[in-house]
Amino acid sequence: MILIDKLCYRSGLRYVNATEKFVYAVLSLVFCVVSGSVAVAVPVFLINGILTVGKGKIPLSRYIRLLQIPAAFLILGTAAILINISEVPMDAFAFPIGKWYITGSVESVIRVCRLCITALSAVSCLYFLSLNTTMTDILGVLRKLHLPDLLIELMMLIYRFIFLLLETASAITTAQESRLGNRDYRTRIRSFGAMASALFVQALKRSNMLYDAMESRCYDGTIRVLPQEQPARKKEIIWIAVYEILLLLITIWSIIE
Amino acid sequence: MKQEKEWVIEAQNISYTYEENEKPALEGMSLKIRRGSKVAFMGGNGSGKSTFFLCLNGIRKPDEGRVLIDGEPVSYTRKGLLDVRRRVGIVFQEPDDQLFSASVYQEISFGILNLGVGEEKARKEVERVIRELGILPFQDRPAHALSGGQKKLVAIADILVMDPEVMILDEPASSLDPKHTKIVRGIVEGLTERGITVLMATHDMDHAFGWADEIVLMHEGRVLKSGIPLEVCSDRGALEKANLEVPAVLRLYEKMREKGMVSPEGGIPRTMEELERRLV
Repeated sequence: MILIDKLCYRSGLRYVNATEKFVYAVLSLVFCVVSGSVAVAVPVFLINGILTVGKGKIPLSRYIRLLQIPAAFLILGTAAILINISEVPMDAFAFPIGKWYITGSVESVIRVCRLCITALSAVSCLYFLSLNTTMTDILGVLRKLHLPDLLIELMMLIYRFIFLLLETASAITTAQESRLGNRDYRTRIRSFGAMASALFVQALKRSNMLYDAMESRCYDGTIRVLPQEQPARKKEIIWIAVYEILLLLITIWSIIE
Repeated sequence: MKQEKEWVIEAQNISYTYEENEKPALEGMSLKIRRGSKVAFMGGNGSGKSTFFLCLNGIRKPDEGRVLIDGEPVSYTRKGLLDVRRRVGIVFQEPDDQLFSASVYQEISFGILNLGVGEEKARKEVERVIRELGILPFQDRPAHALSGGQKKLVAIADILVMDPEVMILDEPASSLDPKHTKIVRGIVEGLTERGITVLMATHDMDHAFGWADEIVLMHEGRVLKSGIPLEVCSDRGALEKANLEVPAVLRLYEKMREKGMVSPEGGIPRTMEELERRLV
């Protein structure tokens, strides 16, 4: 999470209008999932990769490593579809174990491949958004979409304070370690408990201080801030429109098929 | 036009006790602050400085006594509080307890929008303050990626954008590196030039002695001693009680006078630089 946050502030596409990026990512995602077709998934996956790595200047190795995380889940998740244990061998592969077989059909292999590609490409849409758009910009888009203020304010405060919380937690842990606080399993458990309770108390104290500070700036229950938006560019909008219409056509075609 | 009163802030015998404590944080404190002056608040931790500041813009309501801003008692209605908080701004000691938004720009815009200023004017003001305080180079970075000094500048901008008459800085130099301490001091000088009354809590006696028009020594929720720096620093008993040292420049000057190394003309120097120039 921290890695993604760091990368998105350096992204070459950071200053592209956030609504454009949001619409692009969400529409592509929807087409991927609705069509479930490789004909949509493959181009979406490739173009997201090209944009994120090429234009966004996110290092390729980082991008691949990030994609490996969902890939690991996919492999575990699809294993159940792929692998059967039966007395009769099926057409794709079969390993005999005694009188049983670990086996799978060609049909299920194809299904798993399609599932993996679609899922990865759906994830790549989300990665595109989160690797190239800062959280504040995403919140700006959500505000435009008229998400309830309460939800947006909560997200805003959580995003700001999660880093402080992590910082404090790691400072406490370091202090504990320097006093042999994780010498063995028992002390480690005890140290963790102490850290968690200290963190909780600090969070309460901090939130009181923050409330005072906000009140002293005339806070009245709603957080009002100036929206910040990069101008939308006509050329980019046209490209996105053309691309999404193409995806729509392929989706319709794949459903009719 | 409203006539400007000489005393911008007046505290009359205020007391305040926190719910969770038995000991009062403020105990019958009285003080007057002159418009446009530079006032240093000194005293140990728990002497009541921060509580006093919170009373000045209506975050805490004194249990007894009253606070007057521009000669008028603070009214604790919604409208009254809005008015007081517009006039008196507090820069909190810990920027991390003040900055609530990850975006520097949005953070600074919060206060001025709460005053009901239109979006266009607010934008102009926010951008002006960002330029003035030199925030431009890091305005696009998220709050959690800023250094302590940069966060402090944003915290000051938060208040400055609201165009207050009185600005309170609670230990602005604590945990700053020398470079940012200097920058912050420069900004504070700028505030005074603009006519803003500055109240600053500090533990740095040497700086307070050179900077302040008035030093307020606080002890156990009361004013132990207040007056021009020289007057406060001559009261060795009060200094000792507040656990403060005599400013280095004063101590050195007195010793050098004894030995005739410095001429008595021009009175007592307030900074080391001044003393250096006066060496015979």
